[in-house]
Amino acid sequence: MTAARITLLHVLLTPSAVFARWRDETPSAARIFFGMALWLLLCPPLFAYIGTSAFGWHLGVEPIELTRRAMLGISVAYFALLVFGLFSTAFISRWMAGTYGAKQAFGPHLALITIVGAPLAVGSIVHMYPHAFLNVVVLVPVLIWSMYLLYRGLPVVLETDQGRGMLMASALIAYLLVAWVGLLGVTVVLWSRGIGPMTGA
Amino acid sequence: MEDTAGAATEAQARPARYDDRIVTLFTACAVAWAIVGMSAGVYAAAELVWPGLNLDLPWLSFGRLRTLHTTAVIFGFGVSALIATSFYSVQRTSHVGLFAPRLAWFVFYGWQAIMVLGGLSLLAGVNASKEYAELEWPFDVAIAVVWVAYGVVFFGTIARRKMAPIYISNWFYGALIIVVTMLHVVNSLALPATLTKSYSLYPGAQDAIVQWWYGHNAVGFLLTGGFLGMLYYFLPKQAERPIWSYRLSIVAFWAFVYSYIWAGPHHLHYNAVPEWVQSLAMVMSLILLAPSWATMINGIMTVSGAWRRLRTDPALKFIVLSLAFYGLATFEGPMMAIRSVNVMSHFTEWTVGHVHSGALGWNALITFGTFYYLVPKLAGRPLASPRLANVHFWLALTGVMLYVLAMWGAGVTQSLLWLSLDELGEVQYGFNEVMAAMAPYYGLRLLGGLLFLGGAVLMAVNLWRTFTGVERAADAAPAALALETR
Repeated sequence: MTAARITLLHVLLTPSAVFARWRDETPSAARIFFGMALWLLLCPPLFAYIGTSAFGWHLGVEPIELTRRAMLGISVAYFALLVFGLFSTAFISRWMAGTYGAKQAFGPHLALITIVGAPLAVGSIVHMYPHAFLNVVVLVPVLIWSMYLLYRGLPVVLETDQGRGMLMASALIAYLLVAWVGLLGVTVVLWSRGIGPMTGA
Repeated sequence: MEDTAGAATEAQARPARYDDRIVTLFTACAVAWAIVGMSAGVYAAAELVWPGLNLDLPWLSFGRLRTLHTTAVIFGFGVSALIATSFYSVQRTSHVGLFAPRLAWFVFYGWQAIMVLGGLSLLAGVNASKEYAELEWPFDVAIAVVWVAYGVVFFGTIARRKMAPIYISNWFYGALIIVVTMLHVVNSLALPATLTKSYSLYPGAQDAIVQWWYGHNAVGFLLTGGFLGMLYYFLPKQAERPIWSYRLSIVAFWAFVYSYIWAGPHHLHYNAVPEWVQSLAMVMSLILLAPSWATMINGIMTVSGAWRRLRTDPALKFIVLSLAFYGLATFEGPMMAIRSVNVMSHFTEWTVGHVHSGALGWNALITFGTFYYLVPKLAGRPLASPRLANVHFWLALTGVMLYVLAMWGAGVTQSLLWLSLDELGEVQYGFNEVMAAMAPYYGLRLLGGLLFLGGAVLMAVNLWRTFTGVERAADAAPAALALETR
């Protein structure tokens, strides 16, 4: 890849080349965040907002309509959580770097997580039609592709041995699984307290 | 962090003979039970998508297949694997052969006979109606006798050990034997009416409390504690380095034993048991996170120094991944024990997903990893096909991810539909509507289960070829490499 600007298409279609370039350039955290991550993170809440306004939530039976205020609240919370998820994963990754002999600068960690998350952000276009199972069916293969990118890209961007990279990627997946299920827990606690898509009295 | 005992507790001294034939047979039976149990699970999962698959045969009905599935995977596969690995490791950490070898063979034949006849009795519809303890009273008596015999062999071997310390894996296996004896006997107390029917000694809510004291501690001391015994012996052996912190492993053991035993009634939130019992179970479940994660960190730090072996040793990958799922399941469990989470998650598919992230992601993966290490040792030749083991690894990872994600989706959907009320405050969606909404998730779960089962079949073929010495020319080169590093 030449020194030209890295676009979303490069990230999606030639991730290996992007991994190699960000290994060589050691990008700054600000450049990664404002140049790419922020815009990617805006996609899922935006798509979800548009989809929910147009169709409501489909859980397999009749759609659940949400008020505009609730939709806005959920979308803003979604965005905030995605930003938190990106930074917390990047911080955890840098925290692990010492153990696995990886690069210490924060920028490459943020870059790695951004590339890994990019297919999911783009795949979230399926939120435009918020049918629960359709979203699961589309996003699960995308998620598996993202996991593959993590295993593939981590040793390259963070410049560590393949074996240590595999271990570090597995440790990060453990963190992500726990973070995901923690999020699920927080969400249902909010729902069981009446904040969320409860219908009826 | 100190590097004490660990794998180093095994010195060079080797007695004249270790009894490994029984280990081999228990391992073979464990693999066979894995295939039987997982196949029953996959068939039952298919029945949820296509109910006609029961062919109107009572013994193929979901209720009977489901109990065969849980009994075959937990007690056939899981317990056979635990007995195999405990017999293998207790000899090597004690520097003596098995105590009372004939009694050990009684344990082998006794356990396998109980599993075969018990499995058939479940298909015939003979069922004690206690979850994870469905076998009727004659089997319960037989299980108690065989289990005590197992304890005599295990502790007899430890009593004759030729070194002072008792290695940490033996503490976990020992706790498994003692606690399961106690749980099984207390939970199974019943008045027999006929040979195939008995009535629990406990009435109503007390029966529920005893049932979940048993049920959750079976998860705790068998599916968690027993398999931690496996981890603590086989991980350092495979990583060729001692446990990261031996002291942490001991502290975690006692914290684990102390806190687990209280957690059972979290299965009975919002039920007719005293509220303080529910609250106590919830708090102890949350405390349990500390020893569980101490063990996970100990495992991850032990393996993190063994990265060079990953290239040649497919077994180690399974153990690394099993630790990730162990971390997930032991976080998710306490979280689901919180009452305001439980109100949404209980009775939904989320619970089924949680059980399988533990059973497939932790128990099965660590056992697969251990068998890929153990069988070449027992056979005296390298693994027939490391390539096939790698294919198995990816099938297992994809299978468990599909399964768990499908059940998360299904569980949350189910819960939201159940809790939806109409304008009059009535339940808005009926059973049929909710089941119809579940169908696509059940299809995805079936696919995940099939992939996981497919991986297990590949393992069975690979281990069989390893044991019998049948090797394809294409696999010869990487296999030789694996031998070098072992």
